[in-house]
Amino acid sequence: MVELNEVFETNTMICGENLDVRTITMGISLLDCCDSDLDVLCGNIYGKITESAKDLVRVGDEIGLDFGIPVINKRVSVTPISIVGSSACRTSGDFVRIAETMEKAACEIGVNFIGGFSALVQKGMTAADQMLIRSIPEALSVTERVCSSVSLASTKTGIDMDAVKLMGSVIKETAEATGHRDSIGCAKLVVFCNPADDNPFMAGAFHGVTETDLVINVGVSGPGVVKTAISKVRGENFEVLCETIKKTAFKVTRVGQLVAKEASRRLNVPFGIVDLSLAPTPAVGDSIGDIIQEMGIEYVGAPGTTAALAILNDQVKKGGVMASSYVGGLSGAFIPVSEDRSMAYAAEIGALTLEKLEAMTCVCSVGLDMVPVPGDTSAETISGIIADEMAIGMINQKTTAVRIIPVCGKRAGDTIEFGGLLGSSPIMPVSRYGCKAFIDRGGRIPAPIHSFKN
Amino acid sequence: MNRVVVTLVGKDHIGIIATVCNYFAENSINILDIKQTTVQEYINMMMIVDLEKCTKQFSEIVCGLEDVGKKVGCIIRVQHEEIFDMMHRI
Repeated sequence: MVELNEVFETNTMICGENLDVRTITMGISLLDCCDSDLDVLCGNIYGKITESAKDLVRVGDEIGLDFGIPVINKRVSVTPISIVGSSACRTSGDFVRIAETMEKAACEIGVNFIGGFSALVQKGMTAADQMLIRSIPEALSVTERVCSSVSLASTKTGIDMDAVKLMGSVIKETAEATGHRDSIGCAKLVVFCNPADDNPFMAGAFHGVTETDLVINVGVSGPGVVKTAISKVRGENFEVLCETIKKTAFKVTRVGQLVAKEASRRLNVPFGIVDLSLAPTPAVGDSIGDIIQEMGIEYVGAPGTTAALAILNDQVKKGGVMASSYVGGLSGAFIPVSEDRSMAYAAEIGALTLEKLEAMTCVCSVGLDMVPVPGDTSAETISGIIADEMAIGMINQKTTAVRIIPVCGKRAGDTIEFGGLLGSSPIMPVSRYGCKAFIDRGGRIPAPIHSFKN
Repeated sequence: MNRVVVTLVGKDHIGIIATVCNYFAENSINILDIKQTTVQEYINMMMIVDLEKCTKQFSEIVCGLEDVGKKVGCIIRVQHEEIFDMMHRI
């Protein structure tokens, strides 16, 4: 029988510390939709998504009501569209039509984001991959809910530098295509090294080709819960600190496991994974930066930040792994600058720089995330930033990503307000020294050696 | 058995539990356990109840108890028991 203090502890987490289930994401394979006729393909895609996920939002809300925990987002991820559309699409415009179909389907079922307008080009690009990538600026400017991701590198294959170069331009074009809305299109576009096939979080969610036909993946959150827990062990040693994070992550993940199993049962769709990520929001008390500061760092970016983040990321995984039967996705701590009030403030006062952020991505669960940079940052410089991040992921055998926003018309130090969950942030300065000759080389960076690890 | 945890938090006064219990009786909800503490003038109460014989939808019970909460000046939450079992039991 549950005890009074346990019940109130859970409810304090939910009501006072922003514990929530961040997303129930249904992965849908579109491989059986393939056709060489674009109209037929679009019809198949619309039909499969709207039929498979027709009850997703209702069931998500019902689960939230039954257990008294907010289920914030209900979303869909699909098979990378460059594969699905490869035999039907002859131009980039054809891929835009698929994006519009995904948007229409997302509106019909009521999900706020649909991921999978993606290409996996870590070793090379097919003609379809290139067309999809070139269609991204238009696709993201004519849709609201479609999210795009491109895998540019992996530990097994190396880095596709031709694609890295192309993505620098595509990110710039996407920023310009949505320039009248603070380049918001770039918030829906991410590039990856070693992406996860079962990631439920946007903008990087897609349904990997090794996945089953339909699957339920759940992303939990709860930075506020971890922050409150470690505030009770202030001044204690690292053993106590680590144990506290681990135990808290266990509790948070158990909720995700419950919701995932329940969603799977009610929707009659197999349970895939729980993603243990601590995902911040701009809400007060829902911040990864606050956790790092609670550990004893004055502001995020100060010396010690990388070590603090490493502790957090590792202990979250250790606590969460035992709490769920299947763990997957990105699982760790996200560090999106604009979405995290403390991190945005640290950037504003100069405590957090892009270079320090890059160092932090060596130990966080993803990478450079929601980083607004000046609008006049060149495509080559963006490609250089991407190449650095891909190299970190490739060498360290981890997922890394770049979601960078060169905001049109803004300069370093200006503030950008994206609104909602995307938050606000100062524009972070970028090195004024170039890398054009490096990016212009083209070709591939070979896969790294897997021995002699130093 | 359809076990649900009802929690109540608010300023203590005469008749809170009576009002809540009346609502349960009217809706054929059986009380399995009641625990409460009062700190100064505030009451923290938890009941475990069985909805097996209740004919209303769960969402109606949630709304009904919210209204009862407003009447007695307390916040009442209703949640299926599994969330607490999952979080606090291995």
